[in-house]
Amino acid sequence: MDNTDGRNLRSSESWNHAGRPFITTSVLFSFLLGVPFLWKSVEIYRSPLPFHDIDSLSDQIESTPLRFPCNFHAVFVGFRSTDPDNLRSQIQDGINQLTHQNSQCGSCNFSLSVTVQNRDDQCSETLAHSSTTCSYRCGVIKRNVFGVGVDDTVDESLNDVFSGCSEESGKMYSVVVVNKENANGEDEVKAVVGKGRHAWIVGNGLEERYGDMVARVSEIFVKVFMNGGREEDSIQGEFMPVGSDGRIVLSFSLLNSNPRDWVYDWDFQRIDEALLAPVTKALAPIANISVESQVLYHTPKSSFSSWDKKLQSYIFRTSALPFFVNSNEWHLDTSAGASGRSKILQFVVYIPSGKECPLLLQLPNGEISKTNGFISPIWGGVIVWNPGNCDKDSESSSRNTISPQDLEQIVEIFLGQFRQLFGFKSEAFYTSGLGTYKILPSDRGFTEWELDVLSTKHTCFNLHSCSTTLGSLSRLVRSLPRMIIKDEIGEQVKYSLKAAKLAQSNASLGEYSSSASSSREARSLAENAFFHPSIMSVSYFSYEHCFAVYSPFFLPVAGHVVLAALREWKRYKQEKAKYLTWLTRKKTA
Amino acid sequence: MKILLILGLLLCYSFVSSSGDTTIHTNNWAVLVCTSRFWFNYRHMANTLSLYRTVKRLGIPDERIILMLADDMACNARNEYPAQVFNNENHKLNLYGDNVEVDYRGYEVTVENFLRVLTGRHENAVPRSKRLLSDEGSHILLYMTGHGGDEFLKFQDAEELQSHDLADAVKQMKEKRRFKELMIMVDTCQAATLFNQLQSPGVLAIGSSLKGENSYSHHLDSDIGVSVVDRFTYYTLAFFERLNIYDNASLNSLFRSYDPRLLMSTAYYRTDLYQPHLVEVPVTNFFGSVMETIHTNSAYKAFSSKISNSKSNPEMPLNQLSEHDANIPNDELKNEKQKCPYSQMRADLHKKLEKLENVDTVVNLSIAVMVVVVMVSSSLLR
Repeated sequence: MDNTDGRNLRSSESWNHAGRPFITTSVLFSFLLGVPFLWKSVEIYRSPLPFHDIDSLSDQIESTPLRFPCNFHAVFVGFRSTDPDNLRSQIQDGINQLTHQNSQCGSCNFSLSVTVQNRDDQCSETLAHSSTTCSYRCGVIKRNVFGVGVDDTVDESLNDVFSGCSEESGKMYSVVVVNKENANGEDEVKAVVGKGRHAWIVGNGLEERYGDMVARVSEIFVKVFMNGGREEDSIQGEFMPVGSDGRIVLSFSLLNSNPRDWVYDWDFQRIDEALLAPVTKALAPIANISVESQVLYHTPKSSFSSWDKKLQSYIFRTSALPFFVNSNEWHLDTSAGASGRSKILQFVVYIPSGKECPLLLQLPNGEISKTNGFISPIWGGVIVWNPGNCDKDSESSSRNTISPQDLEQIVEIFLGQFRQLFGFKSEAFYTSGLGTYKILPSDRGFTEWELDVLSTKHTCFNLHSCSTTLGSLSRLVRSLPRMIIKDEIGEQVKYSLKAAKLAQSNASLGEYSSSASSSREARSLAENAFFHPSIMSVSYFSYEHCFAVYSPFFLPVAGHVVLAALREWKRYKQEKAKYLTWLTRKKTA
Repeated sequence: MKILLILGLLLCYSFVSSSGDTTIHTNNWAVLVCTSRFWFNYRHMANTLSLYRTVKRLGIPDERIILMLADDMACNARNEYPAQVFNNENHKLNLYGDNVEVDYRGYEVTVENFLRVLTGRHENAVPRSKRLLSDEGSHILLYMTGHGGDEFLKFQDAEELQSHDLADAVKQMKEKRRFKELMIMVDTCQAATLFNQLQSPGVLAIGSSLKGENSYSHHLDSDIGVSVVDRFTYYTLAFFERLNIYDNASLNSLFRSYDPRLLMSTAYYRTDLYQPHLVEVPVTNFFGSVMETIHTNSAYKAFSSKISNSKSNPEMPLNQLSEHDANIPNDELKNEKQKCPYSQMRADLHKKLEKLENVDTVVNLSIAVMVVVVMVSSSLLR
């Protein structure tokens, strides 16, 4: 009765409501059920990185520069009529003037105290200390110790006086100004900075010039103890030879330029154990240093030198220094122990051939260099060592060993170069407008206050580097949403942040060396996370690519199923409409 | 008044700290990449080896050159002159002579390895000679040659390096401060499109041809049977053969030396990301060696006091120090161990054991004792 639309429809009585639609919708539903499983299978594993913490760390480091607490103590011995509080305020003004009141990272958050000890060994002090176990016992420093003995003995006695201090918050730096009243009335003022955290100024009639003394004391506090005797406040990148994994490899090479003339060898083992081990140990918080050595033969240099009749030797000039290192023949970079991210510093002792012996370096002002050596920042240093007598006929290519005295001299020059590579001066003087300060050299390569300066500056640099690296990593990870982030990376970031926080808290407590080592660890972990080999953007596809890969599998079938469902639904509607009209007709009929 | 002064000082300070490019140029690196394989791409290999020779001659050492050659022409079975590679039909110069150090050879030259070299993300075991160990004071020369097209460069006839990949790698290098200045030199067809997407500052790029242009080879060597050099590289080398390490010809003169009629394409360079003026930049800033040197004024006389004290026995300082240091480790050891009674006990036991002369009898005795103990205890338990 209802075949008017020409389709092969069933009669309405026997219309099964649910049959065909049920089948198609069940197929559609089973497809839809599988979608979560598909989604789960193409999901990539991304270890959750603490982006918020990284951002807050970098904000913190940018906004509040890290400052270390330190205590300054000035002792004036032999002064009669001076008021310590007045002195204190003057010195404080002087310090503020020199630091320009800018708080850079690594600067000192200082507290200053002054003690005046008059001729009768009575003291008056300022009340700046809150709670000290470091109070200076009156009368311990005697005026007659100064100026009579050698500087080393003075240094030792002052060390005994001031070393009883336990550091509660930061280290204590002391300057002793001694006013001697000698009859012979020499006008000379001597200023010496010791190996520990103390310095002294000795002179006659200082009470009249106490304004000058105050200026010099402020200068010692700021320029010497806070900045380490360098002009710049912060470390430039080229004086940061520590590798990003916190290691430095010192690679020593003895270069025999022409073995046919003479061959030299050295007892490096003894130097390493005796002279280099203290230096390595002293720098342990800042870098993990390892030492290697080798002896090379047939290593000519590539620059030219000229014979100078007056000096009876061959001269090479500072303009030829950039071309001195002949990298084609000098195979220096043969370290087996250095990993990919350590820094190698090359120290080369060059023995010239018979044709160029003796070889001396001439400075631009015409003088001959005392050390015959130069450095190149981040690379290392070169020392030219001339054999005792350049008479090659008597040698006839015999094997010689460098004598221990010569070796010690070479190591002293090397220590000067090593200090230069860290940004310090190789000589033991500091000159300013007010005068010259003699600095006593320490057999560890660096004095204690220089190590403090190194620790603070390196902490600053490491924390800054750590925060920028982590910031770059978080930006990179967020820009590639389909890149797999392994667990290892997440853990390294976590530990790096922890180490950075530890370094900051140690710094605020005044623990210089532990903050330096924590900051070194933070930087090394951050670099490990950033340079993890799995972060390669070329391997990870975008969402469009993923779609392009999966759509040929699912789109055709899905298309058919959906179309079928739609068609069935339309048909269901039509059938239902027919059924209802049939029902109403039946009812009315 | 004081406030103004302080404000002025703060401004100056912030200005100084924000202008971050105050690093000094400390060294030069070169990354030379040849991306084609097969014998008929001989000229790409010759291009790269010629540039390698130039850069070494002007002073960059092997340890700062990363040379990537995708195939081996010198020992190729079709090479009439084994172990020799020429870039001119007069065969005057053997490019594969002595001292050629190839870092990535053959199938190691892939897009992934290339990007790993640039970004520094290697596996831990990769040796130092295969890494680009540049720092924030380095100038890097990146030379690439092969077959290329619109915004891509073909690697090994199997994959492509896209211009956005290169731009991304350079961006990451800049973020990690792996270079101070970067010079990209590309000798392929439509080379200038490869650096379309670059945005990092401090990058100078020159390509041998524009979009839609081809780069051509210079001449065919009928003896070897293939073209031996490309035009762009040929004229680059002609410029450099006249220089030595002491010269200071400028980059501008290099770029002006390219004649479009001789090259048969337009050598296009991009300087919008590069601040210094090309007239003032010497070519040795990228192609030669630079070593900033500082004279060592004096030695650090840490030991001279000891020497002056014992002038009679000059060997004393070293000897003294070595003995002194030999004593110290033991003392430290003892001090540590005295703190812990358990380890003190163990140390005593260890010392006693060391004093025994015949350790074997002790061991045998103790084994016998153990056997007896086991038998006794098992009989008791039964």
